[in-house]
Amino acid sequence: MSLIQPQIDDMKKIARDPILLATIITVLISLLLFIVWPLYEVLKEGFLTDQGAPTLRYYQDAFRRSENIRVLGNTMYNGLFVSLVSTAIGFLFAYTDAFIKIRAKKLFNLLAILPIVSPPFALSMSFIMLFGQRGFVTHTLLGIKDADIYGFLGLSIVQILTFFPTAYLVLAGLLRQIDPALEEAARNMGASRWHIFKTVVFPLLKPGIANSFLLVFIQTVADFGNAMVIGGNFTTLAAQVYLQAMGNYDIKGGTALATVLLSISVFMFVLQKYWVGSGSYVTVTGKPSRQRQLNEDFIVRLTVGTPCFLISLFIVILYILIPYGSFVNLWGIDFTPTLKHYQYIWALGMKPIIDTTYLSLLSMPLTGILGMIIAFLITRKRFIGRGMIEFTSLLSMAIPGTVIGMGYVLAYNDPPLVLTGTAAIIIFSFIFRNMPVGIRAGVASLQQIDPAIEEAAQDLGANTFKVFTSVTIPLIKSAFFSGLIYSFVRSMTAVSAVIFLVSASYNLLTVAIMSQVDVGRLGVAAAYSTVLIIIVLVVTGILKFLLSKMGTTTSLDM
Amino acid sequence: MSRSKKLIALVLSIVMLAGLAAGCGGAKEEAKKQLQLTLYCGLMEDHMVMTVKEFEKDTGIKVSAVRMSSGEILGRLKAEKNSPKASIWWGGPADGFIQAKADGLLDKYVSSNAAMIPAKFKDAEGYWTGIYVGYLGFVSNKKLLDEKKVSLPQSWQDLLKPEFKGQITMANPGSSGTAYTMLATIVQLMGEEKGLAYMKQLDQQIKTYPKSGTAPGRMVGTGEATVGITFLHDGIKYREEGMKDLVLSAPSEGTGYETGAVAMVKGGPDQEAAKKFIDWILTKKGQELGQAAGSYQFLTNPEAAAPKQAAEIKDVKLINYDLSWAGNNRTKLVEKWSQAVKK
Repeated sequence: MSLIQPQIDDMKKIARDPILLATIITVLISLLLFIVWPLYEVLKEGFLTDQGAPTLRYYQDAFRRSENIRVLGNTMYNGLFVSLVSTAIGFLFAYTDAFIKIRAKKLFNLLAILPIVSPPFALSMSFIMLFGQRGFVTHTLLGIKDADIYGFLGLSIVQILTFFPTAYLVLAGLLRQIDPALEEAARNMGASRWHIFKTVVFPLLKPGIANSFLLVFIQTVADFGNAMVIGGNFTTLAAQVYLQAMGNYDIKGGTALATVLLSISVFMFVLQKYWVGSGSYVTVTGKPSRQRQLNEDFIVRLTVGTPCFLISLFIVILYILIPYGSFVNLWGIDFTPTLKHYQYIWALGMKPIIDTTYLSLLSMPLTGILGMIIAFLITRKRFIGRGMIEFTSLLSMAIPGTVIGMGYVLAYNDPPLVLTGTAAIIIFSFIFRNMPVGIRAGVASLQQIDPAIEEAAQDLGANTFKVFTSVTIPLIKSAFFSGLIYSFVRSMTAVSAVIFLVSASYNLLTVAIMSQVDVGRLGVAAAYSTVLIIIVLVVTGILKFLLSKMGTTTSLDM
Repeated sequence: MSRSKKLIALVLSIVMLAGLAAGCGGAKEEAKKQLQLTLYCGLMEDHMVMTVKEFEKDTGIKVSAVRMSSGEILGRLKAEKNSPKASIWWGGPADGFIQAKADGLLDKYVSSNAAMIPAKFKDAEGYWTGIYVGYLGFVSNKKLLDEKKVSLPQSWQDLLKPEFKGQITMANPGSSGTAYTMLATIVQLMGEEKGLAYMKQLDQQIKTYPKSGTAPGRMVGTGEATVGITFLHDGIKYREEGMKDLVLSAPSEGTGYETGAVAMVKGGPDQEAAKKFIDWILTKKGQELGQAAGSYQFLTNPEAAAPKQAAEIKDVKLINYDLSWAGNNRTKLVEKWSQAVKK
């Protein structure tokens, strides 16, 4: 009895606040509708025969295949490796950004963001152009005859370049939140910079590091685009799910594998919760009061700046190859300048370009707002179902796109909710797949802010809505806007889930790029990719401009 | 209190916006009396766009089309079984259609124009009709052949030459219909035991097994591998796209082929328009359209002219490829192959 007493008290408190109650119910229902239900449909698919009798056959079949056991090992190995390295690089960039005086900072920032803007496969393709058997670096410069980058190494490098910005974004947002006053106090008492880093800065970053590791891990194990192009014989689970379901026409076997993949992600998620634990990461003041004095020590600048510079340079080269490839006859073979790829796009029609931009823009604010509301509920409120909200909302990222795509088709094809072939189904998939980033950024910021500030507002008579809009949101503004921009960019470049959701009325750029790569029109694929990158840069640029007019920054500077 | 109204307004507006988006999709479907058609297409994007335009011009039927891979189309049809959105599946290898027929996703339709199409290129019961045929063969990179001083492979046995060690690429039969056609061809040609032994020997020569059937042609075209096993019409296409070093050859022992098909989706909307489309696509005109968009398969309608780009491969020796055997043994055969090569 006494065990559930506090919960009952919590619920009483919530019940006194109708707005909060309504919000919680709305959030719960939408999560159930757009994450749990499609997932349930997919799980059901793997456990039922075509006639609807329960069976374990598909799971037995999946694990009887020697190949799948190897694939499982590959997935873990690749996920852990990429997450570790990406988090380290993301941290390096974030630290440089916040603590070190370097002139090229703006450039670093831009470059760290670029890989997120990357259309599917683009980096893999550039990478092959540089390091393949006829690659510019391996063949032309170094004269290596039979270079082979297909496999673990090539895949991991491309994934690290693609995913370290995720880590960077999470950590940069956090570092900006740390009040220099703390460090200055420690310095005044004679601590060295290194000692301060160990005892003051690093402990505050722990949740961010855990979060970024987790996020990157989940993205890596779910990444199928790069795995398809550069994975070679090194197959990961995400690719295997797709191959089983789409290549072998075995949807049930695919869903069985997908469930395994899901279990891995869930396991990581639980692990992370216990690892970060329930420690408090609060800087009491809430927001930094002034600028930090940047480290001008030449040795430090050199040692920290050089790797950042080299990584940035590498990314620049990979990116220059994309537009360059769109203006020559055939990338890597025939370098006669041409505009024919753009003429081809024009002839095929602008529809996919317009559709993609429109749907991404539409889903952007919805994703951001929902993400912040959920972050607020998770960190600040106690109610029955909170754990479920947190779990499901973050889970949505861990579901491989192919599977959630299939789940959406299975779930929304029959009444009560018929959405297949509409714009809505694509928008919902964008919202619920991109939300976790915003939530994590929001949670990480909120964990650093003492709830006392909000409680004070509440004591003065503000209701939850008032507290949320006039206290919480301003405190986590930068996380919110980062989440916005991130969700827009992710929508523009998402591929695995929407492959299933594009329809005759709505086609998307990424899917067009994929099919162009597939038929060997690398120039057209590069042209589409260039258009996509330009749209993303223009839209995020406009957003940033508007924000600066409003006097707000995001936690990413482009 | 005004605050609470604001929040309620916010929540409501989100809900309404979602409803609006969903409603918009719905409203568009409410069309005039004009005939409409939705189709899923497994061919190339430009081929699809061009054909659709031509068909609209000829018949006045309004078409919406979307391109997907065979596996995606099949998955989509399965998922949409209870309320199909499309009424035509057009293009892609027949083994996908055979599977769809077994799953009860297709409707019978025997077009009057199908009469002259040879029996081996269509379903005996009329569930699908073949529209093109693509031959399996080798694409090689001329530059790399010269570099390694080795001649063009002319037979399955040639692929085992030591010069090709680590320089051959074929897709993974577990994920690619093209590669599975090759595996089934080898087994039909040599028998299961010998065939799998051959695949094991060949495995020593393979650089990598990419996942998609079009990848080997692309890899050879860009110099990533010397020889690729793929459908020859893809090789021609890549050469037209500018991969000038590509040379084609075919195995002297005989090779398999794919039959591309068209079929009507069971319970799909616009049945009348769907039948019109199948009739139209089987005509000489409908079949020849692909050539202008870089699809160089041979055509099933005897009256339709084969693409001149494919003239060099028209005399390739074909085996009597058993489609239904290949379809029925897919899972078993792929697993045996996996065991044999440990991939």
